[in-house]
Amino acid sequence: VFALGLAATVAALVGPMDRWADTHLAVHMLQHVIIGDAAIAVLVFALRGPLLVFLLPAPVLVRVARARSFFSLLLRPRVAFALWAANLGIWHVPYLYDLALRHDTVHYLEHACWVAAGLLVWTLLIDPGGHRRLTVGGRIALAAAMFACGQVLTDVLVFGFHPLYPAYPRLTDQKLAGVVMMAEQLLTLGTLAFVLLRPRMRASRLVAA
Amino acid sequence: MSPTDFSWEPAFIVLAVVAAVAYAWSTPPRGWRLASFAAGLFLVAAPLNSPMETIAAHRLLLIHLVQNALIADIAPLLILIGLTPAMKAWLERHGARRIRARWAILAWLVAWYGTHLAGFYNWALDTGWALNIEHAILIAGGLLFWWPLAAGRLEAPAALAYLGAAFVASSFLGLAFIFSSHPFYSFYERAPRLWGFSATRDQNLGGIAMNGEQTFVFLAAIGYYVSRLLTEDER
Repeated sequence: VFALGLAATVAALVGPMDRWADTHLAVHMLQHVIIGDAAIAVLVFALRGPLLVFLLPAPVLVRVARARSFFSLLLRPRVAFALWAANLGIWHVPYLYDLALRHDTVHYLEHACWVAAGLLVWTLLIDPGGHRRLTVGGRIALAAAMFACGQVLTDVLVFGFHPLYPAYPRLTDQKLAGVVMMAEQLLTLGTLAFVLLRPRMRASRLVAA
Repeated sequence: MSPTDFSWEPAFIVLAVVAAVAYAWSTPPRGWRLASFAAGLFLVAAPLNSPMETIAAHRLLLIHLVQNALIADIAPLLILIGLTPAMKAWLERHGARRIRARWAILAWLVAWYGTHLAGFYNWALDTGWALNIEHAILIAGGLLFWWPLAAGRLEAPAALAYLGAAFVASSFLGLAFIFSSHPFYSFYERAPRLWGFSATRDQNLGGIAMNGEQTFVFLAAIGYYVSRLLTEDER
């Protein structure tokens, strides 16, 4: 599963998808949702339990441990969600989107931000280390909040009658980008919600029976 | 016919009056339940008996789709929210118990997509009287859909799954309108234009209105059940 996540990330950043992303906003959006959401979700899912301890080499782990309070702060649900939502909004501002397209360094920074923000929220949603920072209801609430935020951006892209980004002048392409985002969120967050809610639905049915 | 003229579908005024009398007769509550029920009836009767009906039935698909969204999604929800537990129990004893969530969602989707099929839609608009059938199907579909939730049959997790499935399954119609590059309904191609919209732009805007309304209603409902889930967790 971990290899699948890595392969998806690499496939999104290297090869034809990266070339098409230069000319198609929908493909660029697909690239972003893969590296910042879907692949991250798969990677974090693959690292649940004891595997997590062996992910990083001991010297790196020691350094991470030293910055524990900083990571704990980032992983507070409200902080993580705020950072994720801000990241989503900021990088879709046309000026910054355009800037990232014109300057590789900014583009790399943008992609790094997607990965970092995705790691924060998916760590809370999947809880690979079993820290229980959020209850099941809290995780569903976070997923719903992420979907609602994503929906705002989706609506801006899908409902718009003018292209927002000069590099991508086709309106249908922009609308498709919105649909790509919505579909991907429905797939990842919907799957998570289903997995989290299923035991409760079964329990409710048993009680009713 | 001027867009500001009133058009009527009196059957829905009669239905609203009958529902209001029945509500008043069965010791109605005061406060928010009463307000919700009244608002629901108003949203059934007003869009179908006003200039909105004139524009929807003669000029713009956009207004027709807004009208449909109001009577199919929002009005039934408000009406059911306005019922007291005793009223819901009475309805359960008199047939509503048979409404199963899985069939309710299916019936709602069939009503939603079926009434928007080009053949049916054009027929309803061409004949005029058949609009009553279209609107009755949409209202009935909405009442069926919201009933399992309003009756408290579904626990929060099941309600979230129900709403999520409905949101996804119903969104394709709005998206089809938004992405369309030609009009689906010949009636609106022939109809005199209003406010300078072409038939295609009218359809695109209708899809946006429909999708926007559904997003708002469903996210609000999902938010309510998420908050209930959080409360359950706290316990």
